[in-house]
Amino acid sequence: MYATAKVKNWGMNMENIELIAPRYGIAWYPWAVQYFFLIALSYASLWLAMPGTIMGRERWKPTARLALLGAVSTAIVAPVTLLADLHQPLRFWHFYAYPNNASWMSLGSLFLPLYVVLVLALAWLVWREPLRERADQSGLQGLIARLAPLGSWATPRWLVVAVGLAAVALSLAVMVYTGAEVAILKARPLWHTEYLPAMFLLTGVIGAAGLAIVVNRFSGMRHPVAGDQMLTVILISLVLAGLVAGGWLAQGLAINEGSVSAALDTVRDNPDWRRFAYWGMIAGIVLFLGAGMSEVLGSWRGTRWVLGLLALHVAWMFRWTVLMEVQTVARNSAGFQQYVVDIGSQGILGIVGSFGLWLAVILIINLFVPWRAAFGGHDQTATTSAIQGEPSYG
Amino acid sequence: MDLARRLFLGQAAKVTAGAAFVPFASVAEASINTQPPRRGGDPGKRYAMLIDLRRCIGCQACTVSCHIENEAPLGKFRTIVSQTEVESMETGEMAQFMLPRLCNHCDNPPCVPVCPVNATWQREDGIVVVDSDRCVGCAYCVQACPYDARFINDRTQTADKCTFCAHRLEVGLLPACVESCVGGARIIGDLNDPDSQIAQMVAEHRDDLMVLQPDKNTRPHVFYLGMDERFVTRPSAAPGLWDVRNGEGQELGYEYGEH
Repeated sequence: MYATAKVKNWGMNMENIELIAPRYGIAWYPWAVQYFFLIALSYASLWLAMPGTIMGRERWKPTARLALLGAVSTAIVAPVTLLADLHQPLRFWHFYAYPNNASWMSLGSLFLPLYVVLVLALAWLVWREPLRERADQSGLQGLIARLAPLGSWATPRWLVVAVGLAAVALSLAVMVYTGAEVAILKARPLWHTEYLPAMFLLTGVIGAAGLAIVVNRFSGMRHPVAGDQMLTVILISLVLAGLVAGGWLAQGLAINEGSVSAALDTVRDNPDWRRFAYWGMIAGIVLFLGAGMSEVLGSWRGTRWVLGLLALHVAWMFRWTVLMEVQTVARNSAGFQQYVVDIGSQGILGIVGSFGLWLAVILIINLFVPWRAAFGGHDQTATTSAIQGEPSYG
Repeated sequence: MDLARRLFLGQAAKVTAGAAFVPFASVAEASINTQPPRRGGDPGKRYAMLIDLRRCIGCQACTVSCHIENEAPLGKFRTIVSQTEVESMETGEMAQFMLPRLCNHCDNPPCVPVCPVNATWQREDGIVVVDSDRCVGCAYCVQACPYDARFINDRTQTADKCTFCAHRLEVGLLPACVESCVGGARIIGDLNDPDSQIAQMVAEHRDDLMVLQPDKNTRPHVFYLGMDERFVTRPSAAPGLWDVRNGEGQELGYEYGEH
């Protein structure tokens, strides 16, 4: 009772002033945001490609073409950004020389390369048939089309299914490790909740669907069914994300759980955090209404790509808030830790650079791989007429 | 070890912050996030520190001597004395509260199992150390420490932390912070040796000792005597140091801003 009375008295007066305390800087840089963003896009894109790839569902094949490009391009760039977040990137081999099976990050260092290899293997199996059809072309494109398929054998369907299933298994491992890695940290109450991995997962699916919509538009594929499917995925994932966030809040309020009370304190004490909270809610609601309206009103379809970009923005902002902003919440000192995004490679340059690398990877794949022709689709020669002559489906 | 457990149980009841409800994390911890075996050091010893806050005057001699001894980069500290202006609970007058902070060399250190390359470990004598030649600088341990005791050393680009000056202990010297403490507030020693000063003080003041953030179940081995329990968790205070404001009270930025 004595202790409680003292604590109450403490809360009444706020004249206590911190005189000396060090500044505790952030230890994970925006590279971490890029990694968590890209890897979530990758595993979620892989899942979106599965109905068309493994199950062979005709209606999902256009989506599978788009999503496979997303899964491959992000799987290539994500490990680069992860490496860049290490302060000693050239020591990455220590992960394999001195593994620690007690560490989620160590487990992740085994899952991640296996996942990347399997995704690349799956894409190679899927893309080698359309590549072979380009073998008679001249120049570098033709050369790659002749060499990359490694022979003229027909891709066995069972092999695509087997590699696809293995990639999905590893993608689940990657999904679990990226979530658990952060959620086990008791030292940061805002991370220490089992709801966080679920939100990483759902915002990842939202982003992946948004990516497919954007690629659908800007690759000139403009497939209306794929666009509608992705909007439906976004709608369902948004509802689930809302339920998870609501459940987190309701359960946290009911039992005074650490991450919820920390979140409420933070939003109360910091105007920046209030802005983040409002912005997150508004972006989610606008995305939900936009996707819903666009499904109802067919005439809005031409602007679906805007919703795709918004979905990507939601997935990225969630990670920025969770990984960067939470690091500014002081653990032992008063107020908030100051964080200004650096101009150089630990900040803006790193963010822009990793997105630039990602774009370059997509463009290089687009240049040398007829990915549009996978699963019985048309090669890009048809796209110019689609842009010029046919009605736009967005 | 017994002491840490007892302190935890005693203080868990006092601290109003409720225990975290984390079934997912608990399951994960049971299987994966467990402590690797201790290695190196004298298995017969258990180093710990007792800080007699009644003797601390906040002179920062420990901060400076540690900085020189261990060559920490500017702005990063293995130990520092936090100072807060508080209202005395007895008299209502303003007073300063000094809180020396350093690595707690916990019996259940959350920074150790997270390390992906086994570059940080706990020695048999309880000291938590880092191999900067093996560390990859992933900073996972920096995130995992609830006490902000770890940082990335800008020069080595690896994790850095207090080692109780293990290199000095090994040759019979006291840690730099203990050596330089003008009030004799810092007492280091072997808890397993009943004749050591720390063991005797722990026995004498058993009921008055506190540790930081006992609710995290890290079982710290830096014990505070004369502690204000409002500082056991993050103290509620207004930041007075880094804010720089103009005449109208508008924030101008932060002193010593690096950017």
